[in-house]
Amino acid sequence: MTALEITGLQKNYVDSYSGEEVTAIGDVSFSVNEGEFVSVLGPSGCGKTTVLNIVAGFVNLTEGEVVVDGQAVSGPGPDRGVVFQSHALFPWKTVLGNVVFGLRMKGVPRAERDAKGKEFLELVGLGGFEHKYPHELSGGMQQRLGVARVLANEPAVMLMDEPFASIDAQTRRKLQEDLTRIFEKRHPTVFFVTHDVDEAVFLSDRIVVLSKRPSRVREIVTVDLPRPREWRTALEMPEFREIANRVNELLVDDEGAAAGADKDPGGATDADGTAVAGV
Amino acid sequence: MTTPRTEKQATAATAPSTGRPRPGGRPPGQQRKRKKGGSNTPAARAVSALWFLTPLALLVVVWLVVVAITDPPLRVFPQVGDVLSALGDMWSSGELFDHLGASLRRMGIGAAIAILTALPFGIALGSSAALSAFFSPLLRFSVALAGIAWIPVATLWFGYGDKAVIFIVWNAMFFAITYNAMLGVRQIPTQLLRAARSMGTSRLRMFWEVLLPGALPSVVTGLRVGLGYGWRGLVAAEIIASNAGLGYALFQAQKYFQTDVIIASMVIIGVLWLLMDRLMLAPLEKRTVERWGMTGGRG
Amino acid sequence: MASDTAKPVRRAPAGRTPRKSGASPGVVRARKVWLWLTRRAAFRNLGPFVPVVALWWLVAEMGVFDEAFFVGPPRVVEEFGDLMEKGILPGYLTDSLTRLAYGVGFGLAIGLPMGFVVAMFAKVRRFCWPILLFFQAVADIAWLPIVIVWFGFSLTAVTFVIVYTIVFPLMLSVVAGVEQVPRELLRAARSLGAGRTRVFFEVILPGALPSVAGGIRTGLGYGWRALVAAEIIVGTSGVGFMMFDARRVGDISQVFLGMAVLGILWYALDAMVLAPFERATVERWGMVRSLEADG
Repeated sequence: MTALEITGLQKNYVDSYSGEEVTAIGDVSFSVNEGEFVSVLGPSGCGKTTVLNIVAGFVNLTEGEVVVDGQAVSGPGPDRGVVFQSHALFPWKTVLGNVVFGLRMKGVPRAERDAKGKEFLELVGLGGFEHKYPHELSGGMQQRLGVARVLANEPAVMLMDEPFASIDAQTRRKLQEDLTRIFEKRHPTVFFVTHDVDEAVFLSDRIVVLSKRPSRVREIVTVDLPRPREWRTALEMPEFREIANRVNELLVDDEGAAAGADKDPGGATDADGTAVAGV
Repeated sequence: MTTPRTEKQATAATAPSTGRPRPGGRPPGQQRKRKKGGSNTPAARAVSALWFLTPLALLVVVWLVVVAITDPPLRVFPQVGDVLSALGDMWSSGELFDHLGASLRRMGIGAAIAILTALPFGIALGSSAALSAFFSPLLRFSVALAGIAWIPVATLWFGYGDKAVIFIVWNAMFFAITYNAMLGVRQIPTQLLRAARSMGTSRLRMFWEVLLPGALPSVVTGLRVGLGYGWRGLVAAEIIASNAGLGYALFQAQKYFQTDVIIASMVIIGVLWLLMDRLMLAPLEKRTVERWGMTGGRG
Repeated sequence: MASDTAKPVRRAPAGRTPRKSGASPGVVRARKVWLWLTRRAAFRNLGPFVPVVALWWLVAEMGVFDEAFFVGPPRVVEEFGDLMEKGILPGYLTDSLTRLAYGVGFGLAIGLPMGFVVAMFAKVRRFCWPILLFFQAVADIAWLPIVIVWFGFSLTAVTFVIVYTIVFPLMLSVVAGVEQVPRELLRAARSLGAGRTRVFFEVILPGALPSVAGGIRTGLGYGWRALVAAEIIVGTSGVGFMMFDARRVGDISQVFLGMAVLGILWYALDAMVLAPFERATVERWGMVRSLEADG
């Protein structure tokens, strides 16, 4: 079963500085199956975050089609939950208030949504923190909350935008293992954007490697490492290194040309006024 | 949050003036784009000037039409033409320049003295934790009281006239600038001070090279707040305690129900403030705070 | 990471024992008491006034200035007791506070909704912005004369001016506050299934609150001044009128009393209403607190 299908995706925007039209995404097509963990990797500035923003419905696409659960995407919706790099927790809501936000929007009765919220907090290891405020949590815990908030809403796809990039190296390892554990337990469909090759290999079933701008799919690498995965054992597996090396090579080929590229047009700050759908 | 305290303070320093958006700027939403430099071409400037002037022109048209339809007596509300001819009269009789000159001179002297006294004082206070802890509540109290509430005492001390008005302008600005300069210095990251000291910076040079520029985002906020209070203090003090100046002109006109002169003076006061902001504060901000990427003084 | 490390590096020779170990027990205890004291908010906020009042007293006692221009605390307290007894001060205070309450009430009722309308709709904002800036630039006090022509000196006139002073800073701060809500939060809410109305009430409104609180504070600061100015210029009652009336007859102690009353009132208003409001919302949520400069 295909949960997410991207066909012939193209994105142009007008650079507000030079006034020129820039093609950020040339032609991207791939699909994510239900219960599958797919990562998107690419040289910096290749627009991987833009792909995610388009799937999320934050940014309009120029050409092509994005279908989630059999429906074409237009605007953000609860079928595609997003975990942000900046966590994007509501500072004025408690931990529990953040987790049940999506359920409240759906109109789930209070007792039911609180029970469900607590269940997901337990799942990510935040049991007992229900009545704290987000700023009282550490960065790692904040991101666990970000994950729980999306999972509690049971979206068709969970979109993760470099969720661990702003977290220190040790905590990041731990969070990656926890995410894998949660994934192995509940099998949500995950679309994961990262620039960390090891992270992508460790977490994913498949890795979509994008080329430099205007980005195209360079190759889709299948990661057939056994699950459950753990960092300690994974690092010792020769297959792990092999896949990581393969992905690295794909990226290095592009590097020279990508070095001069800007930051991700991803947030598409430039296209804001017109492109941000519905916000 | 695991963020250390100093870092939090530093973030706070970047947004010292929530709730006081710059009066001279464009809507915040448009500024994001301008920062990239896209609208600095002459054509883009003309467009944005047009966007600024059209609503104001429309407002004048509405005024014209409403007054024409309802036709209120002159002593209640003047027609646009009345105000223009009042302006013309003030111009040709030289009255306008007398009043303008008097107001601007007082404002200039008061502001200059305030800046010269408040900046060193505020920065000195800020460079000591104990001093700033001691003076913070006192300054907050004084800021709340500054300006208009001093008019009775000022007129008692200095008599009616220039001195009292200048004192009010100084008083209105002094505390706001001192307080913000102090806050600004307190918000300079400790590491920056240590770096400067480890390079052997002398005390005097510290002031010019580190403390003053580091405190600048907050100082600009203080200047803006202070000028706002000073401007209001000036108008109020002129109404009460002088026989020249825009405030005096307003008050005289009120006595004789000359609404045309009142409105003309109000327009002049508004335009002057906008010019002051555009020509003095905005360039100062652009050349320093914004240029250095410190983005202070804006929500 | 203490923020008060801005002191010069210790210059003592390296081999010397730190001074602390040599301190006598009495000094240590005094230091402890001092540390305990400086941790109390009341002491930190009110303590500095003690030496200042003492200095004021001293200067007055020594007769540095003529008594017709400068009086000490005892005279002011005496005057306070006198006016309280006669019922003049309570009456004037009630008048001033009533005017302020009317002005602030209407100001909030008008400024907040208008601010959000301007902030939420880009087209409205683009059109209204220059007009907003212009009206903000015409200092509120400059409106007094025309308002008096329209309404005479009445509650309406004073309310008008205070409303005017509050509405514009408030609207501008609402716009800034709405702009300030991180885009990620809006996106997060949308992708969790919130519609436009829910996004407004659940995200934009609380997100703009720090800035709005700052705006209310600024507005109140201006409103307060406008009130005093109005009472001084054309007053018939109120604390501002009391001060100017006293000035006319040269009663300096009443002028000083008026200033003290105004200052204390503002301080109390700030400490009892505005600061707790900020603590209950902004600080509790761990959001960056606006360091509003004006009281």
